[in-house]
Amino acid sequence: MSFPKKTASKALGILQNLPRISLANLRPEPGAKKAETRRGRGQHGGNRSGRGHKGERQRGTRPRLGFVGGQTPFYLAIPKYGYNEGHSRRPQYQPLSLRRLQYLIDLGRVDPTHPVDLTQLVNARGVTVQPLKRDYGVQLVDEGADIFSAKINIEVQRASEGAVAAIERNGGVITTSFYDPISLGILIKPVPFFLRGQPIPKRIRGYLADPEKIQQARLALALKYGYTLPDISKDELYHMLSMRKDVRQIFFGLAPGWVVSMPEKKILKPTDEKLLKYYRS
Amino acid sequence: MANGERGIVGATFVSPPGPSCGGTKMAASMLCRRTAALCRTLKGISCSKTVLSADSPRGLPPQSASYNPRPLRLNLHRPHIPDKDSEKTPEWQKSSRYDRKLFGRYGSASGIEPASLWPSRAELDRMTAEENEWQPPLEVMLKNVQAREEEETQRRLAKEKLIAANMAKMPKMVADWRREKRESKSKLKEEKSRRAKLLAEARERFGYALDPRSPKFLEMVAEIEKEEKKKKKLVKRRLKDEQLAAPPVAPPAASS
Repeated sequence: MSFPKKTASKALGILQNLPRISLANLRPEPGAKKAETRRGRGQHGGNRSGRGHKGERQRGTRPRLGFVGGQTPFYLAIPKYGYNEGHSRRPQYQPLSLRRLQYLIDLGRVDPTHPVDLTQLVNARGVTVQPLKRDYGVQLVDEGADIFSAKINIEVQRASEGAVAAIERNGGVITTSFYDPISLGILIKPVPFFLRGQPIPKRIRGYLADPEKIQQARLALALKYGYTLPDISKDELYHMLSMRKDVRQIFFGLAPGWVVSMPEKKILKPTDEKLLKYYRS
Repeated sequence: MANGERGIVGATFVSPPGPSCGGTKMAASMLCRRTAALCRTLKGISCSKTVLSADSPRGLPPQSASYNPRPLRLNLHRPHIPDKDSEKTPEWQKSSRYDRKLFGRYGSASGIEPASLWPSRAELDRMTAEENEWQPPLEVMLKNVQAREEEETQRRLAKEKLIAANMAKMPKMVADWRREKRESKSKLKEEKSRRAKLLAEARERFGYALDPRSPKFLEMVAEIEKEEKKKKKLVKRRLKDEQLAAPPVAPPAASS
C-alpha cells in the first residue's frame, strides 16, 4: 500500500479505527478459489457427466495402457537393450555449477576465506547429496564460468576442465578427492556422526596425482583457455590456499581415530601403539 | 553452548598437529551467532558484505550467513542411562554400540569407559586383515594387473604361434590330401577296370554274363592270378640272370 507522505497519519488513523479481523471480514482474492466440478449435477455437469457418447469411454471398459487393439504394441515390438542395466549401481555426482557457487559466495553462505569443502557446501544448503542413492559426491560444472570471479580453495569429487580453468584463472585452488560412501555420509552430516561416539574412520584412499604433473597440467590448461596462470605463492592467502586434506583424513583439523565428545566439547585420542599404527597407515 | 552449533566442530578446542595441517574454522563458527542475529533482522536481504575476495581485508573479518542449527535435544540434565545389571533392560541397551551412542550423547556423564569406544585387539586384527585383503596398496594392485596382463599376452602369443605353425604346415597338408584323393580315385578306377576286364574275360570264356559272386567266376579269377604270378616269377628270374651276367662283365672290363 503506497500512500504519499501527507496522508501517512490519515492511513494510520484508518488502520487504528478498523474493526478486528475475523472470519466475517475476510474474503479470498478474486480468482484464488475455483469452484469444483460436480459431475452428474445440473445442465453442464449432468447427462453423460463428461464421459462422452457410448463405447468404452463412457462405459469405463477401456483396455490397459499400451494396448493397441491387438497389434504387437510398441513397448513389446522394440527389442531390449541394456541402456539402463545396472543403473542403480552407477556412481552419481551431484552437479554444482560455478554460477551457483558464485551465488552462494555472494550471499555469504560459503566463506571463501577458508577452504571450501563438501561439508561447507551442505551447511550452506548449496547442494544436497544423498549417499544412500549412490551419490559419491559433487562435481563442478562449468556453467557460469564466464561470471565466476572468486578466489577459493575448493575440494570436490569431480570437475570439468572448464570449471578447473575458471577457478585457477581467478587464482584459486581446486582439488578432487575420493570419498567412499561411509566417509561421505560422515562428511555431509558431521554432528550426527559425532553423537554416535565412534572414532573417526580412515577414508578409503583414492589415487594421488604427481605434483609436478599437476603443475604442468595447470600451465597447459592456462595456455588452452587463454589466461596467465597467477602465482599463488605470492598471494597473502597462500597458507589457506595450500591447505589440503591428507589422503586418509575426512575433516580438516581432525585425524582418523579421534573421538569427538560433543556435550563436553573435548577430543579423545587413542594412545595404544597398535591403534595409532592402524589409524596412521 | 546450549544451542549446540553445527558446522565443523573441529579444532576450536584442541590444537592437534594432525596428519596434515588442517584448517580451523574459529572465525566462522563464532561469527555464526552474530550473523544469525543479523540475518533475522534483515529478513530477505542478503546478509553478507562482499565476502568475495580477501584482497582488501577491512580489519573486520568478512561476515557470512549461515542457517540456524537444529536444536540437538540431548537431555543433558536428565540423561537416561540404562541399568546394565538389571534383567528388565532390553539386550540392545547393553550392547557396545549403544554404549558408544550413550557416550556420544552424554559424554563422561554416561559413565562409560572411553577406552571401550575404540576397537579391541581382536577386532583390530580383523579390521587389518580385511583391509589387507580388500584394499591392497597401489603397488600390489599394479603388480597384480601387470601379472594378469602378462598371462593374457602369453596365452595369446602361444595361441598365435600354434596357429602360425599349423598354417605353415598347411600347403604340405593340402598337397598331401590332394594326392591322397587323386590316388584313391585312380585306385578306384583301376579296380573298376580290372573288374570289367575280368567280367569280359569270364564272358568270353563261358559265353554268358556270369555273376561275379558265383564259384565259377572265383575259380577263373584264381587261375588268372596264378598265371600272372608265374609270369612275374619268370620275369624276375630273367632280370636276376641279366644282373648277374652284367656286373661280372663290367668290373673285369673296368679293372683291366
